[in-house]
Amino acid sequence: MMLRNIFLKTFHDQRRSLLWWALGILSYALTIAAFYPAIRNMPAFNELLSAAPKELMAAFVGNFTDLTSPAGYLNSQIFFMIGPLLFVIYTIGQGSRAIAGEEENGTLDLLLANPMPRWRAVAEKFGALVLGTLGLAVVLWVGLAAGAVVVKMDINPVRLAEATFSAALLGLAFGALALALGCAAGNRGLSIGVASGLALATYLLNALGASVEQADPYRKLSPFYYATAADPLTNGLNWGHVAVLMGLIAVFFATALFLFQRRDLAV
Amino acid sequence: MTDNVIRTERLTKSYGKSRGVVDLDITVNCGEIYGYLGPNGAGKTTTIRTLLDFIRPTRGRVTVFGLDAHADSLAIRRRVGYLPGELSLYKDMTGHGFLRYMAGLRGGVEWKYVETLAGHLACNLAQPIRTLSHGNKQKLGLVQAFMHKPELLILDEPTQGLDPLVQQRFYHLLAEARAAGRTVFLSSHVLPEVAKTCDRVGIIREGRLVAVEQVAALKAKALRRLEIRFAAAVPPAVFAGLPGVRDVRVENGALHCTVVGPLDLVVKTAAQFEVVDLVSHEPSLEEVFLAHYSSEEAGGRT
Repeated sequence: MMLRNIFLKTFHDQRRSLLWWALGILSYALTIAAFYPAIRNMPAFNELLSAAPKELMAAFVGNFTDLTSPAGYLNSQIFFMIGPLLFVIYTIGQGSRAIAGEEENGTLDLLLANPMPRWRAVAEKFGALVLGTLGLAVVLWVGLAAGAVVVKMDINPVRLAEATFSAALLGLAFGALALALGCAAGNRGLSIGVASGLALATYLLNALGASVEQADPYRKLSPFYYATAADPLTNGLNWGHVAVLMGLIAVFFATALFLFQRRDLAV
Repeated sequence: MTDNVIRTERLTKSYGKSRGVVDLDITVNCGEIYGYLGPNGAGKTTTIRTLLDFIRPTRGRVTVFGLDAHADSLAIRRRVGYLPGELSLYKDMTGHGFLRYMAGLRGGVEWKYVETLAGHLACNLAQPIRTLSHGNKQKLGLVQAFMHKPELLILDEPTQGLDPLVQQRFYHLLAEARAAGRTVFLSSHVLPEVAKTCDRVGIIREGRLVAVEQVAALKAKALRRLEIRFAAAVPPAVFAGLPGVRDVRVENGALHCTVVGPLDLVVKTAAQFEVVDLVSHEPSLEEVFLAHYSSEEAGGRT
């Protein structure tokens, strides 16, 4: 395999991990779909859940009233928590590794002794991260869409794609944040720690905001809000929310380029 | 002076406490092999990494090919081959894959020549890099530094971990580079290596350039520790009076002394007695420094 540039090399490096991610996501999507017929035929499921404290439930499955409808089921099982978090975990791992990983492994000197500007190394690495994330999004979509056909779940595949895209976009925002942290500090552990901490905190902020009135005004500080609150699975993409996520990605990416350009590289 | 391939003016790089370099004025002329000699931690790698814009000077100016090391880094790196001091390679690639990747990133590399170099250094290209010994990794590092026939080679401790046979082949590559009119800036903490390969030597100690010498002049000042065992006891005073001889003492029946400059007189004096054994030790770098300082003091610090 000829690796002519950093983009291909980065993609090639994660081929095995990406394969496992794809298999994991695919089997998760199929499993979720496979359980739907059982839930659909169990109207008591809603009552079961509503018996639990509303705030607690909202933190994990979102503020969805009918959990036996296709959209309510998929939102509660995937698009409110697990889906976004899966993307976030993948992107934080890759984003923090991109530059800080090479720096910690000691290969960055060799890479940047080549006649290329520093920004290009960052851009190609991020390009590979974007492609990997979108690839996993396609896998999730295919798994759910195919599963829905098999179990006769009535869900609009276009809306399904929009909800998946929204979750992937959220992942990319945290991936770009992890990239920026890695570019700024050259420390993978720090990048993973800070980005994961922020992801968890903003997830909780959004989830609590959905159920606790006092937290509601602060929901808009959470990137998770812009990925889930408009319910893209039911309503399609909210372009304002998409723009916010895109804006976050752009700002973090620009910060990564700027800080990496300015600083000394560690040996 | 456009003839200077590398020029640093009062280059200073400070890190929090002591590490770093202070007021370095280094000039490397076109076509020479410049040895940058100093103990580990003296600041050699710091200097080298400012040349490639990996780190930026706290003060001072660095130019390579007359271009600013920071502003024109891209143009500089196009013409430089670099071997890092702490070489790390991509462990999952094979040597072949690694060199292909580096050649692809750089562009315009003649693959035939890469194969010639790899053959010359007897590189193992088929194995994954993680299975290679340190010396075998170092060889791949050397190939990627030389593969685009750069005008300037910047090599940080190039012979680390190389076995003697491969070292000879590396010296041969250096000679070839010199013959082709290329310039080499190499760092080392081993004096004999620098003495063997370089035209000029800059000695760095604790971040400061303490001396720049032609190798020939350094050799003339060379310091050796001699140990001579005689069949019968010889009074140390016989040697103590000779010019350039110091620290004469008798230990375990052998005469020890330190000699600066040619050995001729010591050997001829010893030959008047029955010599059983004669051992000459290469001086450590510290001893070279000491010799250098003391000779400067003797010369009234000119």
